[in-house]
Amino acid sequence: MDHQGRVTVRPAEFTLVPFDAAHIAAAVEAAASRVGFPPDVAVELTVDEELFAPLVGSLSDVVDGRAVCWISGGNLEDTRRPRHFSEAQAAVDFALLLLRAGDRLEPGFAGAPPDAGLTLGQRAAWDAWATGRAERLGLAVRRQRTLYDFRLQHGFTDVADRVFERLWSADTLAWVDLVAACAETGAADRPPAKVPVDVLRRAGDD
Amino acid sequence: MKRLLPESELARDERFVRSRIEDRVFDPRGPKVAERNTGPAKMATDRPSAGERSRSLMHGIFVGEIQALEGAGRTCYDFDDDQAPFALKLDMARQCWDESRHCEISVKLGDHMGTEIGEYTESTFLYQAACNPDPVLRLTGVNRALEGLAIDVFNTMKEFGESSGDPILTFCEDWMLADEVTHVKMGSDWLRRLTEKDPDRRERALEFQRTVDKLFSLGGFRGESDENPVQLARRFRELAGFTNEESDELAVIAKEAQAEAEAMADAALAASD
Repeated sequence: MDHQGRVTVRPAEFTLVPFDAAHIAAAVEAAASRVGFPPDVAVELTVDEELFAPLVGSLSDVVDGRAVCWISGGNLEDTRRPRHFSEAQAAVDFALLLLRAGDRLEPGFAGAPPDAGLTLGQRAAWDAWATGRAERLGLAVRRQRTLYDFRLQHGFTDVADRVFERLWSADTLAWVDLVAACAETGAADRPPAKVPVDVLRRAGDD
Repeated sequence: MKRLLPESELARDERFVRSRIEDRVFDPRGPKVAERNTGPAKMATDRPSAGERSRSLMHGIFVGEIQALEGAGRTCYDFDDDQAPFALKLDMARQCWDESRHCEISVKLGDHMGTEIGEYTESTFLYQAACNPDPVLRLTGVNRALEGLAIDVFNTMKEFGESSGDPILTFCEDWMLADEVTHVKMGSDWLRRLTEKDPDRRERALEFQRTVDKLFSLGGFRGESDENPVQLARRFRELAGFTNEESDELAVIAKEAQAEAEAMADAALAASD
């Protein structure tokens, strides 16, 4: 583990990619400051260095008052320079993790299941809202990418696009709003995923 | 103009980043991931990283189209008419027109998915198959192996578009798939015509195709199970002139490529412990 103030990064030493835990902890702290994450809440981040792009994914939960986050090393990898850390990509992904962890600290998200228990539609809706906020914070996100990921789970329809726009532009939402969005697009009626949504993290526990 | 242009001299602007196949083979994360259950690799919306996988594959298709264009274009120029008949070159010119259109379609599909030109690295092993100095072997490498792979990839993407309800992806892939079937058919027809009186040359060409097919199976990238991201498109291969026996043989080659990759991963993992 590497501690930098309230941020803890695992592993403390990376052996498969030239990532630096202290550097990552500083980047997480910078992201926390940017998104206004409460300064008195500890952040624990696990980076799975075995995974590479396109095996990307992340999970963001709050456990006993701490933000407990997991992210694939592929998320932090520069796709133009495989195995190398991408500052820009990390800034976005850490902001999204902390925006969603911050949501979980709000009373309006008390009923939200942990990330591993979200449906793909719920997760895509939450990501759309978080990414829209990240863009308004000045981060270099790609709206079309988030829209495509949203459409994969909510459908390639005008209804889905309208809901996406509403989520993207929203400043304040609660868990019930994300659930309602899934009902509106029909994502709530889709059968559950055959593959566990946290399969990439589980694979690291094998 | 130079004949037989090596892949190192392909023209690219500053957006493109070249990767070497050995970088991927010797990436220390590969054997680790090979040991893990990261879920089925076959593309579907409920599989992990579905969006990113489709974007990455789409970019691979895009650069593959550029290289197919370059390969067919070189065949128009690299050989005298006594080596390659004018009618063959005419077919290759028509193929260039198709591949150019595919490049443009692929760029627009990349926009649709939220990616951009050069976002992922480019490996030029497809073009390398188009560098054979024997026009028959080159035709076999490009029009039967490379374009055959294109059939498998486009059909996989078309099915992904259908399953995700994406009409843009589905229609685009379906139209490109139709062209690829034609390209493979041209390759099969010319192989037969050019080697009609030379069975040894035909066998050499088919052996070259088997070698390239194994390379293009990329250690499990292509196959017929949920563990393979790209599925062997037997029906479309049949339309393109492949016999059932040839598709069976390719399935075996793909399995061999996967088994060899797994053995290499095991060996690398053992060495790292």
